[in-house]
Amino acid sequence: MPERTDDSKMTATPLTRVLGILGIAASVVMAVLGLFISPPDVVQGEAVRMLYLHVPSIWIAYGSFVLTSISSLLFLARSKRREDSGRHYDRLAGSAAEVGVVFTGLTLITGMLWGKVTWGTYWQWDARLTTTVLLFVTYLGYLALRRLPADPVVRGRRAAVMALISFINVPIVHYSVDWWRTLHQKASLSVGRRPEITGEMYWTLLYSALTVTIVGAWLIIHRYRVIRLEEIRDEENLKMLISSRHQEKPTDSTAAGEVS
Amino acid sequence: MSEVATVAIGWGLTFVVIVTYSLWVVSRGRTIGRKIGIGEVHQSGQLQESDLPTDT
Repeated sequence: MPERTDDSKMTATPLTRVLGILGIAASVVMAVLGLFISPPDVVQGEAVRMLYLHVPSIWIAYGSFVLTSISSLLFLARSKRREDSGRHYDRLAGSAAEVGVVFTGLTLITGMLWGKVTWGTYWQWDARLTTTVLLFVTYLGYLALRRLPADPVVRGRRAAVMALISFINVPIVHYSVDWWRTLHQKASLSVGRRPEITGEMYWTLLYSALTVTIVGAWLIIHRYRVIRLEEIRDEENLKMLISSRHQEKPTDSTAAGEVS
Repeated sequence: MSEVATVAIGWGLTFVVIVTYSLWVVSRGRTIGRKIGIGEVHQSGQLQESDLPTDT
């Protein structure tokens, strides 16, 4: 007896549904905290509210690129040993990179808007901004490389190498404000350094980072499953093509026989 | 552009981008799932949801 299932179960599980609902609820609270509860800055005024989007976005982007690099390394190390060629790691690398690119794009957009208010210009070719846009473009290139037609394992290896090369730029972006004289301010929060902000602004920033992490994790899990579905679809299409070619063969020989 | 307008545009754009991307991911999963028979009528031998990997 055929069994009908719910469409919403395609890429979701109870865990991801809980994560999704938590992400939505946390985002609403984040908006209230960031837009209404947290006070305006003495110097920057209301514009400081961009902090709660801009900073967590780049943190999640960094985290996603770290995940991409670790997965790429594991894929390269295990692709010859594992039964499924380690494609699990390749999928994880691809999904994390895509989410990382989305959040890097958001970092650039929010940064440009914030810059217009505080610096008087949307864009300046200083070290932080230039290296960030380079990061965005290199990971876009990585995603483009993943779409090139090739054997999945070969393509996965090429993408993994590209991911590891692209990752070199992540610490350069982060430390660019310390290494070079830039228009961009130094990190608001940094390990081993006293925070530049305190009180409600500090806690709102931490809360925003947590919220964006939940949303990012939800996106990576779902994107991972969609990549798996794409692979199943491609495998099914390939099987159908091969079977249709097998069915064509007798017809060809029959036709040839009729001619002779 | 005033500070308040900048903040409103920044927050608005961010939420639009994240919601659009999330909807795209979910709808792509559903579209491909339907094509390969997940979420529709399951016959024996067809792909089931359990064929998909669980949590990463």
